[in-house]
Amino acid sequence: MTSPVKKRLIKFLLSLIVLAISILIIVYNLRDNIVYFYSPSELQDLNTSDVRILRLGGLVSNGSIQSEPNGIHRFKINDGNEEISVKFEGILPNLFAEDKGVVVEGKYIKDELFVALKVLAKHDENYMPPEVIDSLKQTGNWQGE
Amino acid sequence: MNNIISLSGNLLLIICLATSILQSLNLFTTNSYTNNNVKLFSTIQFTCIALAFLILIFLFTQSNFGFELVTFHSHSEKPFLYKISGAWGNHEGSLLLWILILTLFNFLYSLSAERDKLYKNKVTAIQSILIIGFVLFSIALSNPFALNESPQSEGLGLNPILQDPLLAIHPPILYFGYVGFSLVFSLAVAGLLTSNINNVWAETVKSWTFLAWTFLTAGIALGSYWAYYELGWGGYWFWDPVENASLMPWLAATALIHCVVVLQKKNTMQSWTVLLAIITFSLSLMGTFLVRSGVLNSVHTFASDPGRGLYILSFLFLVLITSFTIYALKSDGIDKENSYSLVSRDAGIMVNNWVLITILFIVFLGTIYPLFTDLVLNTSLTVGPSYYVMTITPVIIILLLFMIISPLVNWTAGKLSNVIVKMRYVLISSLTLVLILSLYFYLFSLTELAIIFLCIILILTSVSSGIIYSRNNIIITPSLGRTLSHSGFGLLLLAIVSNAVYSEEKIFDAKVGDTLKLSDNTFKFEKINQFEKQNYNSIQAIFYLMDNNKQVEKFSPEIRFYNDPPTITSETSIVHRLFEDIYIVMNVTQATNSISVRIHVKPFMTFLWIGVILIILGGVLSVFIKNKKINA
Repeated sequence: MTSPVKKRLIKFLLSLIVLAISILIIVYNLRDNIVYFYSPSELQDLNTSDVRILRLGGLVSNGSIQSEPNGIHRFKINDGNEEISVKFEGILPNLFAEDKGVVVEGKYIKDELFVALKVLAKHDENYMPPEVIDSLKQTGNWQGE
Repeated sequence: MNNIISLSGNLLLIICLATSILQSLNLFTTNSYTNNNVKLFSTIQFTCIALAFLILIFLFTQSNFGFELVTFHSHSEKPFLYKISGAWGNHEGSLLLWILILTLFNFLYSLSAERDKLYKNKVTAIQSILIIGFVLFSIALSNPFALNESPQSEGLGLNPILQDPLLAIHPPILYFGYVGFSLVFSLAVAGLLTSNINNVWAETVKSWTFLAWTFLTAGIALGSYWAYYELGWGGYWFWDPVENASLMPWLAATALIHCVVVLQKKNTMQSWTVLLAIITFSLSLMGTFLVRSGVLNSVHTFASDPGRGLYILSFLFLVLITSFTIYALKSDGIDKENSYSLVSRDAGIMVNNWVLITILFIVFLGTIYPLFTDLVLNTSLTVGPSYYVMTITPVIIILLLFMIISPLVNWTAGKLSNVIVKMRYVLISSLTLVLILSLYFYLFSLTELAIIFLCIILILTSVSSGIIYSRNNIIITPSLGRTLSHSGFGLLLLAIVSNAVYSEEKIFDAKVGDTLKLSDNTFKFEKINQFEKQNYNSIQAIFYLMDNNKQVEKFSPEIRFYNDPPTITSETSIVHRLFEDIYIVMNVTQATNSISVRIHVKPFMTFLWIGVILIILGGVLSVFIKNKKINA
């Protein structure tokens, strides 16, 4: 085997190994950090032993917001069919209100309680997260255009 | 009257289109003497679009609600500055801005001295083809001069969080970067067509590349700073798809600027450099597509207005396919076979090219994967920020390592032992420094320590190679651009890591008169003010940072209630100190007698921005500094 060919072969194999390892690491990390989105109906059907972080989106149920003085808030999120109770400790966003769309991120414990670590909100009164629109459309409770 | 304005706006676009078609025909001329119209055509293109853009700004300042665009994106009570910035704060206007910069770069290039007239014809022809693509899009699918069917008396307003001086100049600067790479792209493709890729070519390309890169860096930094003080979440980078869309071309461009320098100095890496030029511009196009098509909010909004999205997507594919075909056909054999040793500066730069491309791939995957699952598998998901942090961190360590070593090695062949000898003082001093720091704070993990250690070495070696002290004279070497950018990068990363480790935040339920404590800081909630402004009402809380009963710093976070469209925003109040930022934001609550206050103590933020400014300054210098060629 001539030396330049050998050199090239070594280079090629080396880059192949590096490539394979890095892609493996990347994909593995990606799989671990994916946050799935669920509507209340979908969450009901979910295996409750799943302890991953996930997102839940829908409408804040009318009259469901209860704020305790220690900064703990309880409210319910519905999609017209199902309702999930949510507990959140922290500051609710400015545009958080009853009958408005909301997306929360956190863990679904059991007995229909969702412990939210984050409440996501956009800076527009009429904004509705697209996922929420989709799930409302699926349950036939969408009233927009 | 409005009919005439609308007509003349469209007419200007059509004249530009016609001129661009004429200029694009130069692609097929082989005779370098026939065409001296390059300058004339480019001037016409630029003048037309500049006039059209001025008309659009004029319409916004006049709040002319006869026009659809003004009605949807402005309001008569908007402050004047935001009426102007409203002109490009929307899809149609930003597209016109994009075209304006395309023609501006074509115009600037046509003025530049270029000995090879044939080559110049090809470059401007390719640039004109890009202009044609975008002007057609503007006229047919996103016309900024469309009239309302019935005149409206009032506009729908401009999103209040976009009413910010930084965000008014953020898009033009970012676009200057994005679109600057269009010229680099044209230079590369024309170079392929004329088999012209060599160190002379790199000389021309270098200034344009650094120019575009500098603007892109500044644009990203402005966006990040805006997010830091306006969004009120205490962070400056969220791995949001919109941010990733601008980071991807930046990563490719950063690899590109290094290759251009290698090409210019050593006349190697031809095909890789050209490939990077094509990739960088394609990513700029993709970034615009992602942000402007609405596909990021949801693939479903994209589907609801398929015309626009499909047009940009097809144009993107057309550009990609054509340029890669040309690349495949023409790039064979343009590489000068230059045997270089494994320990040489170009080898080091090549390794870091791979590293940058790896980071690019990581960001690309994280950004595209949710779109893919939504479209194909119909599952909604997001990729958490920890994905990026976890995958990029190990790669960053390799990047830092080679950023340190490469500049210390000779271009042709060096010895690693020489590098260690060169670095001996720096190594010893940074090792001591890191040991002291880790013992003092006893908090760092091994990864954090490694990054901090490497950052300190990077800063020290960069500074000592750029500014040499000899015989009582301070000599500034031609590599000052690199010195600034590399030490800036070290400082930036150092700040990012320490900030991530030491940031503190706490939420308070506060009443007037309360004293709030966060680590060593004591805050006093003094009072609440209420006032009315031109287009919003405001509640303002006054806090003082106390030091032994003395008021040291004043904070005045606000909640604003905008009228049109009805929106509530929180305005942060930030005090920048040398070693930490103190950041206060408040929110409305259900409770009537107290407010929710979030206080962040964010260390090293000032250094983070200084690092960014150094990187940008280095870029500015590199636009102007001429490098000497090194004979291999």
